[in-house]
Amino acid sequence: MNKELEHSFVEQLQKHQNIVHKVCRLYTNNVDAHNDLFQEITIQLWRAYPKFRGDSKFSTWMYRVGLNTAITLYRKSKRRINTQQFDNIQFKIKAEEYDDTEEEQLKLLYTAIHQLNDIEKALVFLYLEDKDYREISETLGITEVNARVKMNRVKKKLRTILNP
Amino acid sequence: MDELELLKKDWKKEQLEFNTFADSEIYSMLHKKSSSIIKTLFYISIAEFAFWILVNTLPYFLSDSYEEKLEASYENPLFVGLSFLSFGVIILFIYLLYNSYKSISITDNAKKLMESILRTRKVIKYYVIFNLVMIFISIPLSLYFEFNQNPEFHERVASMDSGQMLVLYLITTLVTGVIILIFWLIYRLIYGILLKRLNRNYDELKKLEV
Repeated sequence: MNKELEHSFVEQLQKHQNIVHKVCRLYTNNVDAHNDLFQEITIQLWRAYPKFRGDSKFSTWMYRVGLNTAITLYRKSKRRINTQQFDNIQFKIKAEEYDDTEEEQLKLLYTAIHQLNDIEKALVFLYLEDKDYREISETLGITEVNARVKMNRVKKKLRTILNP
Repeated sequence: MDELELLKKDWKKEQLEFNTFADSEIYSMLHKKSSSIIKTLFYISIAEFAFWILVNTLPYFLSDSYEEKLEASYENPLFVGLSFLSFGVIILFIYLLYNSYKSISITDNAKKLMESILRTRKVIKYYVIFNLVMIFISIPLSLYFEFNQNPEFHERVASMDSGQMLVLYLITTLVTGVIILIFWLIYRLIYGILLKRLNRNYDELKKLEV
């Protein structure tokens, strides 16, 4: 039974692992940290899995657990070595030669997002995942009105970071 | 906002630059140790119980004279009452702690999840406060009993002038105060570090409600 459960879990996670990677992409800025957070989210998903009833989509359930792990449960583990941070490389590019390609713009965007706080990142994540305000409010535990207000503020803040 | 739309387009691409984990890698991840704050909190609460139970029982096993004194003091209804109270409180706290751990669910919304963790931390905090209050009460209390039951100590105190009495009071208060301060600092430090991120994010969510 347990083996069966494990098998079906791994199969589903393998298929949907991009969601977890995306959470890690926003909340970490180097490969080691990324993998470390991925590991922790996987453990939390696996623990919660026996209670997953299938009345919500597996992917919806996943991003809730993923976000909760990232903003609430996660503690950076000590085994991590600090490898070169993505952001620093991009900052250098910005200072030296800024060319307006899409690639460049994307890098700058990720750099800007990494400067947001955890809750703001969660809003960006849910926005990128095309969630409506009802779902955003349910995921974070705030009202729809507040979710809307906060989302506007986050967009404004991003704009300020990008065009100082 | 154009930039965010650009990001969204990139986000939707099926192939992002992540290295995809294979089944076997995910299998091995399932059996690794979690480093979540709930787990740490759980260990802290176990350590907390163990510590206070040891503090309360260890002198009994280590020192014969203490054992004798303690047995004598059980003739006093106040001491018996306090011992029963401590045991009752330990059982009550274990029950409360069990309940609050059970109420932590990762599939709740973020705010509710944070609240259940903070509630658990509060239960531990109240247990610590209870123990500190017991220390606070028991130091003057044991001095008082010593005064009543130990003739040598009685005589020494009775022969003190008001200045010496003052010094005795001051020392007692100071020692009690320092003990409590040290405990308070340790707890601030432990929980401050452990729950820093959670507290910050919880405040951020709370701020939205105002």
